[in-house]
Amino acid sequence: MNDIQKKILLKTIRLINPKNNFDRESDVVINGNKIVSIEKPGSKTINQKDIDLTYNCKNLILCPGIIDMKVHLNGLNQENITKTQKVASKAGILKLVITPNEDTMLDDPTTIEQLYEKSKDPLKPSILCYGTATKNIAGLQISELGLMTESGAIGFTDGVNCIQDSLVMRRIMSYASMFNKPVIQHAEDRSLAGLSQSNTDNVSGEINEGEISTRLGLIGIPSCAEAIIIERDLRLAKMTNAHYHVSNISTQESVEVIRRGKKKGIKITCDTSPPYFSLNELELLSYKTSFKLSPPLRNEDDRLSITEAIKEGIIDVITSNHFPRSNDTKLLPFSSASVGACGLETLLPLTLSLVKQGLIDLMTALSMLTIKPAKLLNLEIPDIQKDSVASFIIVDPEKSEIINENNLLTSPTPFHGRVLEGFNLATFLNGKIIYESNEFKNLKNG
Amino acid sequence: MDKIKKLIKSHPPIAQLSSNHLLAIEGMNKNEILSLIERADYFADLETSQIKKFLEGYVVLNVFFENSTRTRVSFEVAGKRLGADVINISVNTSSIKKGESLLDTANTLSAMKPDLLIVRHPESGAPKLFSEYLDCSIVNAGDGRHEHPTQALLDALTIRRKLGEIEGLKISICGDIANSRVARSNIHLLTTLGAQVKCVAPPTLMPKNLMSLGVECFDNLKEGIKDCNVIMLLRLQNERMSGTETPSQREYFHYYGLDKKKLDLANNKAVIMHPGPMNRGVEIASSLADDTQRSLIKTQVEMGVAIRMATLEALHNKKYNK
Repeated sequence: MNDIQKKILLKTIRLINPKNNFDRESDVVINGNKIVSIEKPGSKTINQKDIDLTYNCKNLILCPGIIDMKVHLNGLNQENITKTQKVASKAGILKLVITPNEDTMLDDPTTIEQLYEKSKDPLKPSILCYGTATKNIAGLQISELGLMTESGAIGFTDGVNCIQDSLVMRRIMSYASMFNKPVIQHAEDRSLAGLSQSNTDNVSGEINEGEISTRLGLIGIPSCAEAIIIERDLRLAKMTNAHYHVSNISTQESVEVIRRGKKKGIKITCDTSPPYFSLNELELLSYKTSFKLSPPLRNEDDRLSITEAIKEGIIDVITSNHFPRSNDTKLLPFSSASVGACGLETLLPLTLSLVKQGLIDLMTALSMLTIKPAKLLNLEIPDIQKDSVASFIIVDPEKSEIINENNLLTSPTPFHGRVLEGFNLATFLNGKIIYESNEFKNLKNG
Repeated sequence: MDKIKKLIKSHPPIAQLSSNHLLAIEGMNKNEILSLIERADYFADLETSQIKKFLEGYVVLNVFFENSTRTRVSFEVAGKRLGADVINISVNTSSIKKGESLLDTANTLSAMKPDLLIVRHPESGAPKLFSEYLDCSIVNAGDGRHEHPTQALLDALTIRRKLGEIEGLKISICGDIANSRVARSNIHLLTTLGAQVKCVAPPTLMPKNLMSLGVECFDNLKEGIKDCNVIMLLRLQNERMSGTETPSQREYFHYYGLDKKKLDLANNKAVIMHPGPMNRGVEIASSLADDTQRSLIKTQVEMGVAIRMATLEALHNKKYNK
């Protein structure tokens, strides 16, 4: 870690600040925890003699740190939290929002306070969280939304458990609107997906319903299981005037429903994750359990409409939907294997792949990772200006890597073996370098 | 020349497989399938005393994670006829559910240095998982709703012996297609050999996009079996259902149970097959099941041993005589 007192010059770096739509090659000087000057490259206003450390950042990008609004923890122990923060700083993520799950039951104010206590560290990415919408994510009794808000919950969700009961959902929405917090739904009709409690264990949905599920003899989850819930919730959102957010949309039908809702002026937002715009159900032909995700990977038409919805701006945010899973739960026959895969380390390159494909421009891609989630969650909008706090990341859009799950900090990944481009080289938090790659170190005094 | 052809036909060579495993019919080519069927056809006519014990010292583990009598015994008999050491292992599925890892079990078995594992498992894809982590050959003896390759092979052999070449035959597969691994293997095999395959099931038991596998789909049994040469019935798999697929067994039999009257719509020489065990009065009328003129159910069991002999022999050959 560098000395606080040092003055650092980032020379000829492409500074992208989505907040004011600024995109220009600049010389950026950091002193202490602040950005003290942003000038055109070679500007005489920067006195080279004052500078202690210079990094030649030609062809690199400086932009705000990523805000990832959907991250799972496997329990609230210190080790999990610290590890996640470490992975995030490498991945260029400065704010993580933890979503509740069975092992991370954020359903009362004390637990939330504990999470904040354990994750508090000025040299680590900050951790925020949602509170559960219902007690024990069981979908029956509404959680203490108010008290959890006071403890720091920034939204409410039952994680991967979709809230099924319409009256419960209505009450949650009405009540949550009092605190101006979004209600986040993992849209999946659980009975259609074969997941409802009344159903026997041996028919729970495993992958997208279609030709692939038929060939593999796995139980299908029809794509309409997602849109049905969104349709219902939209009507409830309209009635209650709540902010409704759909997490991880994956189907063409969902896109259509959300487009319609947005047109009508309903307060609806949504996100998706890289697997849903990068992969389709054909991957499952290998029976590889790293592709067992929720929602399941859909067909190619769905994938295309997700990319189209990103282009069109229907999808507001891209999240990692990070869910680390041990080999003990993944090296099993498909039906027994756990659901979910990691995403923190691949979030940035996969989002940038949309830019390489010409679907969206760089400013839009970075907005979807930074200011858009901030706005949606009522967080401070990240800004990179003279006198603002020096918290940002430095990205090499050309750096390419073969993803290998054995070399990643977290596993499994559905992107094993793929070549991805565009990685974070260094992460600055409050003026301190909390992560730097060897490439970045080598740019010193260049 | 004709003499040689006749000789080859009467004494076909050991079947040639491209893989070290038999995991699924999907992906196998016509030659592989036919070489197994022809070899088994030859075995089927041999007296036990005429069979050479090619497989002496070859260790075969019959690993069944799901109850089965006929398939397990069939593999056991097949292996023993060829002189292999066949060891039966019934793995208690409940202990697996309690948290014992499948791969731990697999590694334990692997330490016993078997040459081949015959695996039946309630979950689709489990034998493939074994094949990825173990050194020995794996034969899929039925995995979940996925495939049951030796069943399809023995069905094809049964048909061939009764009706001749499969190419061009009209074959109906009727019943609980959604939950049936036998249906999937048969669809792949019969379409590969050029049969015209029709699938008949109530819409609740018809898997999505089944047509993409190259078959015609019907929800009306009478239409689906019209002019058919072969009717394959499937068991209603109550253990794999959630309870909303059919209203009652009575109603199911009314629409999908095969009886004499419905059978008259098929080709007048049509034969009936069933992988067993049968539910009499649900998918088939009892009298038809016992009609030796039409029902090939017993022959299927017989052919099962022959097919499994050809399979074990082919995988043994692949390993030792490259």
